[in-house]
Amino acid sequence: MTTNILICDDSSFARKQMARALPKQWDVELNFAANGAEALELIRKGKGEILFLDLNMPVLDGYQTLEVILKEDLPAITIVVSGDIQDEAVQRVKRLGALDFIKKPVDVELVTQVLKQYGINIEEIDNAEETTEDLAERLEVDLDDSYQELANVAMGRAADLLARLLGAFVVMPIPCVKHIEISELEMAMQFIKSNDSISAVCQGFIGSGVAGEAMLIFDDASYEDIAELMKYDGEITETAQLELLMDIASVLCGACLNGIADQLDMKFSIGHPMVLGQHIHFDDILKGASTQWNELLSIEMGYKIENRNVNCNLLLLITEDSIDTLNKRVIDLFA
Amino acid sequence: MANKEIDVGQVNIEDIHWLMDILQSIDVGLIVLDRSYKVMAWNSFMENHSGVNATLIKDKVLFDVFPSVPREWFRQKAESVFLLKSSNFTVWEQRPYLFKFKNYRPITGSAQYMYQNITLAPLASVTGEINHIGVLIYDVTDIAVSKLKLEKANIELESLSETDFLTQLNNRGAWEQNLQAEFNRSKRSGHNCSVVMFDIDHFKNVNDCYGHPAGDEVIKRTAELLRETMRLTDIAGRYGGEEFGVILVDTTAEDSMIFTERLRKRIEAEVVRYAEDEIQFTVSLGVAELTEDCDDYKLWLERSDKALYVCKESGRNQSRMYLHSD
Repeated sequence: MTTNILICDDSSFARKQMARALPKQWDVELNFAANGAEALELIRKGKGEILFLDLNMPVLDGYQTLEVILKEDLPAITIVVSGDIQDEAVQRVKRLGALDFIKKPVDVELVTQVLKQYGINIEEIDNAEETTEDLAERLEVDLDDSYQELANVAMGRAADLLARLLGAFVVMPIPCVKHIEISELEMAMQFIKSNDSISAVCQGFIGSGVAGEAMLIFDDASYEDIAELMKYDGEITETAQLELLMDIASVLCGACLNGIADQLDMKFSIGHPMVLGQHIHFDDILKGASTQWNELLSIEMGYKIENRNVNCNLLLLITEDSIDTLNKRVIDLFA
Repeated sequence: MANKEIDVGQVNIEDIHWLMDILQSIDVGLIVLDRSYKVMAWNSFMENHSGVNATLIKDKVLFDVFPSVPREWFRQKAESVFLLKSSNFTVWEQRPYLFKFKNYRPITGSAQYMYQNITLAPLASVTGEINHIGVLIYDVTDIAVSKLKLEKANIELESLSETDFLTQLNNRGAWEQNLQAEFNRSKRSGHNCSVVMFDIDHFKNVNDCYGHPAGDEVIKRTAELLRETMRLTDIAGRYGGEEFGVILVDTTAEDSMIFTERLRKRIEAEVVRYAEDEIQFTVSLGVAELTEDCDDYKLWLERSDKALYVCKESGRNQSRMYLHSD
């Protein structure tokens, strides 16, 4: 009997990657959902006997979806496929009934191994009209979706380090990818308000034909909680704040840039971080800048610490002349 | 086959030789430390600036040879590098230096010591484990000195200037000097003189709702209305964020109230348009006339501030004279 497989991920790029990772001539019917709500609907119709579930999604995220499956005892065997690789995330989804957890980017061999391990029938047939492989290749992928997914995976790696540094659970919203003019940058920010008092550190990066800057933008209201998490005792002076800021910037910028570079099979040189300012506003950052670029690719990643008043944003700004190279690399990944 | 392997070996040794050479001569401090902070490598930059030879420090714990290196601070950074396998960066603004080295230019340089940026990088072994870290020490003295000089110059410039940038009114320092001068003059001449302190009601809400640029626009417009309402001889200043002061020469408190009420009504009727928002706002004003019992200009100012406080307490958007009972 044909098994109904459901791939639930908000990114068309991730859906394709997941579909490609399945056994190539597996006797299954493949179904897709872009968020948890869509997935539940399909599961109720019997279209999701085996569910590959992303965590970070709009409308209904992976955790919420698992809760519903558990509560309503829906017939879906769930394997979580996520860029959020914090130990705590793995524990949580297992507590919510997920069978296993596969890290993004998906490792093809690991998928087969996991399926086998749980005794799932992966028998292949060779008389199918359209194989899973054909179907996966036919899936259309949106370029910005791909950037969002790359950022999501890179962000997940950085979040994992941050979680370990702070001993806390890092909540990561969906990254925000935009093509903008530099003059629109401030307006385009999702997670930063123009009147927030912030501190900012930036690091330049260049390599494989791609250049840009990674910026850590830290909400000044977060210092108290960060100091506590990092077990910093003593008065939170200006210098103490700078220490905390640099420690976090070191971890996040490096991990995120290397995460992007690894996925694209690139190497970046990363410059020494530079303090852009403490207790400033976002528009101060670009005041002295004399950039020659009009257009930028901006990827904004917000990090929050669960149950804490900690807000920091990692902003990747990529120059106009890098975009062609980058697009080609990304297209190579799903072409 | 065996020959080939030897060839490869020889090339490698030669490669390593000039690689070591360049690492020795590069003008950046390079140190390799193991898990217990013993020095494994120490390049010429480190030798020459510290005066400690590589052979001498090899296999010794860094902190034992350099007790001045902040042990706990350094260990905290290094441990996170071992744990997370991710580099840690520090900048001179955090801590001017890790090693107290002399300025590279002891004659023409203005700093006493070398400002340093530090990178702590994880070094993976063949098996991928992190048993060593690399410490890179960059001399950033020139950058640091220029930045410090620039900051100092900006502070000086600010205090030298008398005009508030946003409103083009007197800044606080200049206005207070005027207040002191008028205080002395009135004390001597016996002429009436009043001071007004006022501020924008719930200004924080303006900033929170419409953003800082809109808030700036409101402050600018307030200053313009103030200029249009006051007489040529009156002296206005921006006292703080959303706080203004006006010195009304030859004016009693009662007459000052005519001015404050006129200004208050004009501001109440004003609509500031910013982006797509229409912002309306009000002000509260406190008036204090200089009286005989007041022997300090600061006390005089304080009295107008007290009157302003009473306005705030009794519902804002009003002006009041200072009363002795306040």
